[in-house]
Amino acid sequence: MNTPASSTAAGAPPWRGAANAPTTVPGSASSSRALEVPGVETYSQEWICALLRSTLPFQTLPEELLHAVARLARVRSYAAGQVIYRRGEEADDIHIVASGRVRHELLAPGQERLERTMHSGDVFGWAAVLEAPRQRLAETTALERTEVLQIDGEQLLQVIERDPAAGSVVMSRFAAMITREFSAPASVAARVRHLNGRSAGPAGVPTGWALTMYRLAQWLKSPRPYLMVTGFGILLTLWYLTVEVWKLPRFADMPGLTVVVKEMFSQDPTYGLSVYTPEYYQHIWASVRRVGIAFVLATALGVPLGLFLGWSKTFREYVFPVFETLRPIPILAWVPLAILMFSGTESPVIFLTFLASFYATALNTMLGVESIDESYSRAAYCLGASKWQVFREVIVPGAMPFIFTGLQISIGVAWFSLVAGEMVSGEFGLGYVINTSYTMVRYPTIIIGMVTLGLVGYVTSAMVRVAGDWLMQWRVRELTMGGR
Amino acid sequence: MAAVMETTPARAVSGRTAAAQGAIRIEDVVKVYDPGGAAVMAVDHCSLDIAAGEICMIVGPSGCGKTTLLNAIAGFHSITSGRIWLDDQLLCGPEKPLADPGSDRVVVFQNGALFPWKTNLDNVAFGPMMQGRMSRKEVYEKARGMMADAGLSGMEHNYPGELSSGLRRRVEIVRALMNDPKVLLFDEPYRALDSLTKSVMHEALLEIYYRNKVTIFFITHDLEEAVFLGHKLVIMTSRPCRPKKVIEVDIAHPRDYGVLTSSRFRQIMDETSEVVHEEARKSFAAGEKEG
Repeated sequence: MNTPASSTAAGAPPWRGAANAPTTVPGSASSSRALEVPGVETYSQEWICALLRSTLPFQTLPEELLHAVARLARVRSYAAGQVIYRRGEEADDIHIVASGRVRHELLAPGQERLERTMHSGDVFGWAAVLEAPRQRLAETTALERTEVLQIDGEQLLQVIERDPAAGSVVMSRFAAMITREFSAPASVAARVRHLNGRSAGPAGVPTGWALTMYRLAQWLKSPRPYLMVTGFGILLTLWYLTVEVWKLPRFADMPGLTVVVKEMFSQDPTYGLSVYTPEYYQHIWASVRRVGIAFVLATALGVPLGLFLGWSKTFREYVFPVFETLRPIPILAWVPLAILMFSGTESPVIFLTFLASFYATALNTMLGVESIDESYSRAAYCLGASKWQVFREVIVPGAMPFIFTGLQISIGVAWFSLVAGEMVSGEFGLGYVINTSYTMVRYPTIIIGMVTLGLVGYVTSAMVRVAGDWLMQWRVRELTMGGR
Repeated sequence: MAAVMETTPARAVSGRTAAAQGAIRIEDVVKVYDPGGAAVMAVDHCSLDIAAGEICMIVGPSGCGKTTLLNAIAGFHSITSGRIWLDDQLLCGPEKPLADPGSDRVVVFQNGALFPWKTNLDNVAFGPMMQGRMSRKEVYEKARGMMADAGLSGMEHNYPGELSSGLRRRVEIVRALMNDPKVLLFDEPYRALDSLTKSVMHEALLEIYYRNKVTIFFITHDLEEAVFLGHKLVIMTSRPCRPKKVIEVDIAHPRDYGVLTSSRFRQIMDETSEVVHEEARKSFAAGEKEG
């Protein structure tokens, strides 16, 4: 057989198996060989994409970017014996052989001459993606009538920079190709250009901070932040109009927008509470402290309980019915018992807050364990893991997405039950502020308490989310990939 | 000529298990499921011999019970009667119906089971790290080397979710081979791939096979895939599952995609497709579900 496949069967790296991909692409399906594609103009966008896909650097590039790269490609044909470029010339384009053969004589600094023949799907001219000065390191000649795709290195970088994660894979694969396929010294591969200052080496995978900044930039570019601002604007305008301008029945008694804002930012507040008074921060601190203690306790107890409930059938038989009977009891129903069980004003409130969080965390963790595909633990057993190793390496990380969903809910219900608790007992805290302001007819202060609760609650919930993203880089990156 | 022969349930066992390791012998295995009292026979007196280093393709309609057989070898499911041997070691039998899963028989799963929360490199290193046979440094050196050999360099620190499905399968095979297994068990791994990717994966799999001669037990319902890859095809009857026909594919290895257009390939396809089709029709008529 002389399909392109057979020339690459033994000894060639496996990715090269894809070099015959274009032969089966729609449009050229009637022809069984890549070499038979007659003229330059028949290279369709799909064909070029398939050719790029078969090369090491572009193999994993997302579809959309691959098409963008394919649009940069120009096709040039060379006659047998024609020189494509000479050593020392300016290196602008990378080259990919579309058809024909090319002799490539590499003379890297401090190295002996290396000669290779390039076939369809081979990439050369990679000096165009090195750090400046970009000069050709090789002498290349067409051995027969040859068609070559040329892509400007500068433009290529601009395109793949749109997606730094995928782009840096392209660059690190250029580096790998230069050392492995061209046997060029590592000093040459080290000159492969970096994206946005990121190293092109294997460590150049975006993590943590870079990823967060990337997402922030993407968010600011999207319409979402502006819609959000508009949403808040509408709410505040309605508040202002209904209470202070139209003075609708029942609304007229409510504190208006201007009154609340003035009170909140007053150096000398009429009702004694504003951002300038230390009491404001004492109340916030009291609430945050209670939620914090309750949340940490609920997580420390709820996550292990949920993991064991999901993991051990026997344990579940004992515990789950009890759990499910207690869970629907509303937190407020626990108030009297909490006051009887715990002394002082602090611990009953913390207990109530804890309880709601604990249920949410444990239940979601259990569902998380149940959601794990059985093949993961089977694969782990196959690979020689013990039962305990499966728990540590598969069950815990596998349940992690659900655990963090649970923690998000948990922090939300913590604030909810905290305010309930603080209204009943407690001396400080935002719930206490709201309740006492009502009885003492300090209406603007109620709103200040409510707004503060909203803000602090949002911040704590965002903190849980950030912690989750930080612990689950794999998921963030999967979602970023999927969201494109 | 292809040696086409009818098999009878308790077929005589050939003595090909001498030197090389990884021969599987399935002796008269029966598996009956008993969900809520209604006994369902998934595997019916199945006997099969797979020589060490052989690629054995198990072909049958979806839901015919081939996966049950694989699960019995891997140690995920028990068997009702019969015996399964790996070389001289009895994996499961009447006294011990459930085999212990072990790294000498690694499964490549239908939907892929790379751990999405581990990087590709950590996935590949998983087996030896868990078994603690080598130092961390040795494991990671070997893992990097094997990934590079399979054309996966530059992807070590990516997560599986960032790769195409074809590349994920390749990582999974490398992860299995890290354990120097005697047998690789493939549970329709390329089922979800498009035909273009599939053809690339087939050549890549053969490439890997030529470098590490392991026994391959490969389940599929794609006859072309079976003839292209296998030394031996075992065509299964639809539920209950039993070998209906065993065919030796006498196309010389190493093979590449040129084989697909050869007359010998077409001839074997013609000889087998009628048998397979008949079983598929029966299975469809019986309204079997995936399984």
